Amino acid sequence: MHTATKVTVLALALVAAGAVTGQAQNNATVNVTAAVQQPVVVVKTRDLDFGLVFPGVNKQITLGSASAGTFAVTGQASASVNLSFVVPGNLNLGPTLLPVTWDGSWNTANAAGGTTFTPSAALTPATLSGTGGLFVFVGGTVAPIVSQAPGNYTGTVTMTVTYQ
Amino acid sequence: MRTCLTICSLVIALAPPVAAQTSVTGVRPLVFGIVFPGVPRAVPRTDAANSGQFDLRGRGGGRQVLLTFTLPTLMTGPAGATMPLAFGGNDAGFSVSQSVNNQVAFDPRAPYRPTLSNNGRGSVFLGGTANPSVGQRAGNYTGTITLTVVFF
Repeated sequence: MHTATKVTVLALALVAAGAVTGQAQNNATVNVTAAVQQPVVVVKTRDLDFGLVFPGVNKQITLGSASAGTFAVTGQASASVNLSFVVPGNLNLGPTLLPVTWDGSWNTANAAGGTTFTPSAALTPATLSGTGGLFVFVGGTVAPIVSQAPGNYTGTVTMTVTYQ
Repeated sequence: MRTCLTICSLVIALAPPVAAQTSVTGVRPLVFGIVFPGVPRAVPRTDAANSGQFDLRGRGGGRQVLLTFTLPTLMTGPAGATMPLAFGGNDAGFSVSQSVNNQVAFDPRAPYRPTLSNNGRGSVFLGGTANPSVGQRAGNYTGTITLTVVFF
């Protein structure tokens, strides 16, 4: 066999072997995407104030009262949210207790006449307005005993809003 | 001389144009869609509309391939904001029939070596979970997923 031919045949053998055992590597990409909506923001806009309370006389603050507590919520337009509350069973004057019960309502307009509920740890579903607003009103009733000690009683209501 | 030319031509004819015979194509992005701050959003690999998809074409039927993902841990959003991404052991699937409804699950975090169909085809599907924080900045977030395939 001619020398040049030998070299060519050897090359052919190597290439043929590569055809049998060769590997190929490819890669491709895809994007991963998400559209994050507006975070929800909660602001207390007014404290709940029972005002003057007399021993033995229950005192109620209605939801539409100028003394009702109010929260303003902003977030993604028309989004569904859950409201949850931490509410005390009593107002406190040091170790002295003043029993209290709670009422609530939410509305997409800044008016108390919306959907009523009882503020509690249980989730209350609500829907933000078309502009992403929500107003929450908190009222309640205190029930002082006849011998209720005089003084300023206080408590804290905490509302948490989460997207569903 | 005539012999040499003939053999040289044969060499060219037999040289395997490997790259032209195999392919991997990104077909569909992994889409989390609308995500609310503080609410994790999971897309299963069986989600026909939102799971990521790659299509594979090999050199022949019944050949094995080695799949290796390069997965991001974060998506990037407005003003450089980032959002964590997570991929679990069941978040990837391989389908010889190239159907989202007929997958064999595998862990996308580790290399996986399935076998292509008799016509040398297969598809890979990918799901995952986006984990926005409560204060996650609003806007569009993106990332890139790369699938590297070795065809045997």
